[in-house]
Amino acid sequence: MALEQLSELVQRCQGLPDDGYASEDYNVFTVAGRSCIEEGNSLQVLSIVLDEKNQDIVRCMGWNLLPPLIKVLLKKEDEDLPQCLAIFNHLLETCRPKELLIGLLEQLEQDDPDTIAESLHLLLNPLQKVLLCLGNRKASSLGMTLSSVLDQVAKLPLPHTKEQEEDDIFMLCRCCTNLVMFVRPFVEEVRQNLARTEQSSDCKTTEGQDSDELQPELLKFCMKTLRHPLLEVQLKDPDTLPESPLRNFATEILNVLSAIREPLPSLVYQPLLKRKQVPGFLEEEVRYPKESLASLAHLVFVHHLAADSFPSVFSPVFCLRCNMEHICLLLSRTEETRIQKGLELYEKSLVRVEDGVLPADLLEIKTFLTVPQNLVKVMTMCQRHDLRTRGLKVFQLSIDKFNTEAKYHFFQYMLKTSNHSGVEGYVIKNIKNQIDSALQPGNSNTWFEGVHLLPLLRRVLSLPGGPETDLLEYLDRIMESLNLLRYLVIRDKVTENQTGIWTELYKIEDTFLKPLRVGVNMSRAHYERELHNTMEEAKKNKVKDSSVLSVSVGEEKLPNVTSESHIQALHSALHTFDMIESVLVRIEELVEVKDNLMQLLRTP
Amino acid sequence: MAAEPTREWTDEQLKSDDFSKKDIIQFIQDNATHSFLNEHKLLGNMKNVAKTAKKEQLVIAYNQLFESKSFKGTEPVENVTEQIKAVKIEEKPQEVKAEVVDEGPPKYTKSVLKKGDKTNFPKKGDTVSCWYTGTLEDGTVFDTNIPTAARKKKQAKPLSFKVGMGKVIKGWDMALLTMSKGETARLEIEPEWAYGKKGVPESKIPPNAKLIFEVELVSVD
Repeated sequence: MALEQLSELVQRCQGLPDDGYASEDYNVFTVAGRSCIEEGNSLQVLSIVLDEKNQDIVRCMGWNLLPPLIKVLLKKEDEDLPQCLAIFNHLLETCRPKELLIGLLEQLEQDDPDTIAESLHLLLNPLQKVLLCLGNRKASSLGMTLSSVLDQVAKLPLPHTKEQEEDDIFMLCRCCTNLVMFVRPFVEEVRQNLARTEQSSDCKTTEGQDSDELQPELLKFCMKTLRHPLLEVQLKDPDTLPESPLRNFATEILNVLSAIREPLPSLVYQPLLKRKQVPGFLEEEVRYPKESLASLAHLVFVHHLAADSFPSVFSPVFCLRCNMEHICLLLSRTEETRIQKGLELYEKSLVRVEDGVLPADLLEIKTFLTVPQNLVKVMTMCQRHDLRTRGLKVFQLSIDKFNTEAKYHFFQYMLKTSNHSGVEGYVIKNIKNQIDSALQPGNSNTWFEGVHLLPLLRRVLSLPGGPETDLLEYLDRIMESLNLLRYLVIRDKVTENQTGIWTELYKIEDTFLKPLRVGVNMSRAHYERELHNTMEEAKKNKVKDSSVLSVSVGEEKLPNVTSESHIQALHSALHTFDMIESVLVRIEELVEVKDNLMQLLRTP
Repeated sequence: MAAEPTREWTDEQLKSDDFSKKDIIQFIQDNATHSFLNEHKLLGNMKNVAKTAKKEQLVIAYNQLFESKSFKGTEPVENVTEQIKAVKIEEKPQEVKAEVVDEGPPKYTKSVLKKGDKTNFPKKGDTVSCWYTGTLEDGTVFDTNIPTAARKKKQAKPLSFKVGMGKVIKGWDMALLTMSKGETARLEIEPEWAYGKKGVPESKIPPNAKLIFEVELVSVD
């Protein structure tokens, strides 16, 4: 039935000029032609399509047959495959490129990952041919194609393990490889045109104009791939995976950027270089999305993908300054892939810098203050243990790179802003190490002894909430402060007073030691009574066996804390107070001994 | 000792356009002694060598390799070190004059290879553009932005940056301020004013490396 309709229509149209077809003819051709292919009559359709007399008809209407053809081609095991492939190839050669492009792009839109990957594999090559046929008017079509291709790629699941990448179970790797092949001729065209326009300096040819428009489309494409998939995947090192399709893809993208005259150094250093150009700021942000640039910096500095072409003349401090913008962006996110990349980039940028050279004026740059704050969030709140540990490692590395003055200001800043007992404790431990180093012969500096040190000590040796401070919550901080104080009274001689601690002690008594003692006594009394009550309660409950207190989170009721574990917790709190007190007592003893010594020295 | 490699390519093959420089470099690097490579400036990363060496030079080197039979493993070690010393000594006399720059003890020396216009000296914060080739003391090229063929030079751009602002290694920042437009100079930069104790392993710069740059100052804006 459909076949008859189709033959009839074709015969009728053979006599007409190609602008004489009625819209009804198009409809009949489409409906009948599609049914023929779906019903398995593709051999007959092929002979109609190939018939010399029908070429005008095919050129105008043929592209309407694409949907059923591509369905067969995607199925692969269909018995009509050879005929359908022949029709498909003939259509590609005969039909108008504009219509083919629309037809092919429509078929690219899929939802199921397997079909997405297969259609990309099947259609990228025909799409490339069609675009190349468009000649000088292809820029916007290329842009449209690349954009819908990348939208499809974004729907594919990402490989996480080395094995997944090797086996390419989600076929993302094959798509990326196809994509590289796809853009190659367009990149080459832009490259040649740029070279040509530069040689003939101002006289721009029409081809040059097309290339002017192609370049932004390719740039857009690179920027988009840098964000997805490249920022989302963890590239494997050559040691882990010698032949990595995703690493090759990343390398190719960097090559494309160089070829279309977007030099990598200017892109990586973009955030710093562009800041002054306020007009057109928005446009810059669209052309060079910050996340894409951060991803690029990660590829260059962590994976060394452009090691051969990236200039080796920039100073490590400058690289760090530029990368801080990218690091700041990556660490401000909550996705673990971003955090991991931020940490990696920070670590690599710091490692290049020698210890103790970063000057204090860097701390006037915003990113040098926001990055540590982000780092604190990673160290204290990130779900993944390995990232928290790595965060701490990078935090210490960043401290090591500052010179003494910068370290001093950095510690003050961290104590002021971190609001986390553990982090503050860690910073105080660092302060102790710096004082220790300053007290070594020949190492003396103005920041960690004498006049400058005192303000820092005052900040450390204090109780944030006076005697009412929650000692358990602030335990890390309090213990490190006490350790520091004990170290000072042992290490610094009363007669030398290099750190200034001996003249400051009477103030510290008031601001720190006395309130702490009061706090310890109050807390101990409180917890002892609590312990007593709980034990009484437990005795009673053995008879009653019911609990008064219940805690629920959301709708769910949490299991009751057993009285045994409650008692255990109270005991351990009491132990903690004992620990604080023992260090406190030790400090008081040391001070007393030295005070006596002072008095002996004073009396003639 | 391993068998000598055979000379598989004829001159015509080598000179033909579809025969890439990289193939020749690969062959020579695989088969020649270190001192032979040094003498012909073929040490280092493939891309950089390909950028600095002309095709004719490579063909000559290829032929000389077979004439001199300087194949890997043929030379006793003393011989190699002797030649390296000889090469180093050779380099010294050709330096015109080593300018000593103030600012504490200078950590670099500069010798002018081609005079500039002596009027356009960059100031701190000016944007300068330059072509450069960086080598290590053993002659290894670790970085260059100079493309070889004339046609290609049009396609590449010289490196531009604001001078005297700490964007580049200190040796560059200091030396560029003493150069005038059009000048080509050879800079020998001590590690302290280059990449210091750390080096840049991924860019083939080892720790504590003295860096030698040939820099042409193209423009000052």
